[in-house]
Amino acid sequence: MRSPRPARHDALRRRLLRSLVATLTGIGLFGLTLPALADGPWQRLEATQAVLGGATPSTRGLVLDLPHVSEDGSAVALTVGFDGELEENDYIERIDLFAVDNPSPEIATFHFTPMNGKPEVSTRVRLNETQDVIAIATSHQGERFATAREVRITVSGCLMRNGNDQPEPLSSPRVSVPSSFSVGEPEEIRTLINHPMETGLREGPDGETLPRHIIERFTVSVNGETAFEAELHQSVSANPYLRFHLAPENSGEALFEWFDDSGESARHEVELSVG
Amino acid sequence: MSQQHKRDGFSRRQLIKGMGAASLLPLIGGVAPFAIGGQHAGRVVVVGGGFGGATAAKYLKRANPAIEVILVEPAETFYTCPFSNLYLGGLRDMRSIAHGYDELTDRYGVRVIHAMAEDVDTDSREVILSTGRHLDYDRLVLSPGIDIRWNALEGYDEDAADKAPHAWKAGPQTELLRSQLQDMEDGGTFVMVAPDNPFRCPPGPYERASMVAHYLSQHKPRSKVLILDAKDNFSKQGLFTAGWEQLYGDRIEWVGLSNDGRVTRVDAGRLEVETEFGTVHKADVLNVIPPQKAGWIAERAGVTDDSGWVPVKPDTFESRQVENVYVVGDATVAAPMPKSGFCANAQAKVVAAAIAASLESRPAPEAYWTNTCYSLIGPEYGISVAGVYRVQEGAIAEVSGGLSPADAPAETRALEAEYAVGWYNAICQDTWGTST
Repeated sequence: MRSPRPARHDALRRRLLRSLVATLTGIGLFGLTLPALADGPWQRLEATQAVLGGATPSTRGLVLDLPHVSEDGSAVALTVGFDGELEENDYIERIDLFAVDNPSPEIATFHFTPMNGKPEVSTRVRLNETQDVIAIATSHQGERFATAREVRITVSGCLMRNGNDQPEPLSSPRVSVPSSFSVGEPEEIRTLINHPMETGLREGPDGETLPRHIIERFTVSVNGETAFEAELHQSVSANPYLRFHLAPENSGEALFEWFDDSGESARHEVELSVG
Repeated sequence: MSQQHKRDGFSRRQLIKGMGAASLLPLIGGVAPFAIGGQHAGRVVVVGGGFGGATAAKYLKRANPAIEVILVEPAETFYTCPFSNLYLGGLRDMRSIAHGYDELTDRYGVRVIHAMAEDVDTDSREVILSTGRHLDYDRLVLSPGIDIRWNALEGYDEDAADKAPHAWKAGPQTELLRSQLQDMEDGGTFVMVAPDNPFRCPPGPYERASMVAHYLSQHKPRSKVLILDAKDNFSKQGLFTAGWEQLYGDRIEWVGLSNDGRVTRVDAGRLEVETEFGTVHKADVLNVIPPQKAGWIAERAGVTDDSGWVPVKPDTFESRQVENVYVVGDATVAAPMPKSGFCANAQAKVVAAAIAASLESRPAPEAYWTNTCYSLIGPEYGISVAGVYRVQEGAIAEVSGGLSPADAPAETRALEAEYAVGWYNAICQDTWGTST
C-alpha cells in the first residue's frame, strides 16, 4: 500500500540505544549505592542542620510519601515512616519534618516509643509553594536518616473557592482504634480534631493580622505511660489529622490529649483491648 | 513489509474519497501540503472519541488533510459527562447529550473504527485492537479519559456499581442512577460519596447534588441530599453553598473531611457507607464517586506514573515517558488545568498542531489554553469559573481567570444558565459537529 518507511530501523535503533542506556544506568546506580548518599537539601537549611547536629545522615530506610503534584496546598497528605535496618534493641525515637520554602520551615516533630511498634505517621500539611519537603529520623542510639521529596503545588482552575468557615478550636476530638489488638502487633490509630491552626501570617476581613493560634502538642499515653507525642507547627493543616500505630502489651486505657498555644486543651479516652 | 505485518488496509481510494470530501469545505487551516501519488504526511492513530480524541482527530485533518487519521472508539454514540447532571435533574433527555462521528468521517475524512484498543507496542509503534487488528502509527494520541480504581474504596467493585452507581462515565450508569432516583420514596436520602483530588470534573459532584435537589424539590419534597466528602475544600464552594441555601434551604447537607466526611467502606448491598471515624450512613439512593486513574490503555502504553495519571510535556502534551505518544484530557497531569471536557478539547488542539508540525519537522507552535466551566445550581441559576493557561518556567501556569461574582442579582445567574447552554452547544459543535 504505502512505500516502506524507515520506522522499523528507527525502532531497532531505539531499542539498542535503550538497552545501552539501561546498562550504563545500572552501572551508575551500582556505583552510587555503595556509600550512603549524604547530599540533600537538609545540608542547606539551618533548622535541619540543628536536628542533625553535625551528623551525616544515611539516606536509606526513611520513606516519605507525598503526591508529586497537589492541587490544594492547604492540605497535602503526607506519610513518613522508617522500614530500614537498625542495631538490635535500637528503635526510631523521633522524626522531624520540614518544608524548605514555607515562611517557617518546621512542620512537626514526632516522638516514638517502643510501644508504637511501627515508626510511621500520616498527617496533612500546608505547602506555600512548590518546594522540597524533608524528613529526618533519629534513632534511640543516635543514628540519623534523611530523605526529601519535591512537591509541585498548583491551584486548579476549577478549585478556586471563596469563603471558608473557621472551625471552633479544639472541638470534636475524634479517635479511631481497632476493636482489639494482638499482643505486640502494631495497629493503626487515627485522630482528628477541629482547630483553625491560625498561622499568625494571615489577614482577617478587617485587614488586621490574625494572631497565631495553633495546637502545639499532642500526646498519647497508655495506662499512664507515654506512647507517642507530636509537636506541631503552623505548617500543619487546619483540623490536625494524625495516623500512627500502637502495639500495646496489655489491655488498658489510652488517653489522647491536644494542647493549644492559648493554654486550652482537649482530651479523649478509649479502652484498648489486647487479647 | 505488508506481508510481515498485519497492517490495517486503508485503500488509496478511501483516502482520496476522504480528501475529496474535505476539499469541498471552505478552506480550513490554510493550504496544506497534500502530496499526490501515494505519499502521505504520516499516520496518526487516535484512541478515544470523547472531547479530547474527537477534537484531536478533527484538528489534525484541519491542520493538514494529507495526514492519515484513524480514530479508535468502541461506542458509536458518545454521551457527554457535561450536562449529564441536567439529565439526572430532569432538565434534559439522554439524546440531547448524545454525539456521533458522522462529521469526522464524512466531512473530514477521518477513518473511525468502532473497536476497543487493547494494547500498544510503543517499540514497533502499533495499536492492537479487540478485533485482532494491528494499526501502525507514526504518532499516537491517547484520549482515554478515566477508569475507576475498583476496590481503592473498600467494598466498591464493579458489582457494587450496579447497586450504588458512580455515574461518572455518562451512559447506562447515569440512566441507572436516574431510575433509582425516580423509584425512591418521598422522604428518602440521596447519599453521595465525593472523592479526594484529583478527579474528573472538580465541580461535577456539587452540580449533581444541585440537580438532584432540584428534582427532589419538585417530586419528593421531603427528601434530602447528603454529601460525604474526602476533601475540606471544593470547586466554587462559596458559590455553591450560597446557591444551595437560596434555592434549597437545608435540603443539601455537606460533610467535609474534617467533620468525618471521608468514606472508607461501602456496603452496596445494604446501601450503607462507613466513614473514617466509624459513622455509618444509610442511603435510599447511593451514588459513589470513587477514586480514579487514567484510562486503562494509558497503562498499557507505559505512559502513566505511580500516581496512575499521565505526566506530559507541557508545550506539546507528548508523554514524558514514551516518545511519539501524545496524551490529552482527564488522563493527564495538567494541573492547574482541571480535568474538564473543555480542557481536553483545548489540549487536543495543541496536540494536533504539535503533531502536524513534528511530522514536517517544524517546531511546535507556542501553546496556550482556555477553560470555562459552568455549573447549574438550578434551571435558571448558573455559576462559572474561567481560566487562561500558558507554559511558564517549564510548567503550565494560570495567567488569568476568575469566578462568577459572589453577590450577583438573579438576572446574572439566569444569564449564566443560558450561557451554559450556549457553551455546551458550541463545544459539541467544535468536537463532533453536532449540537441540540
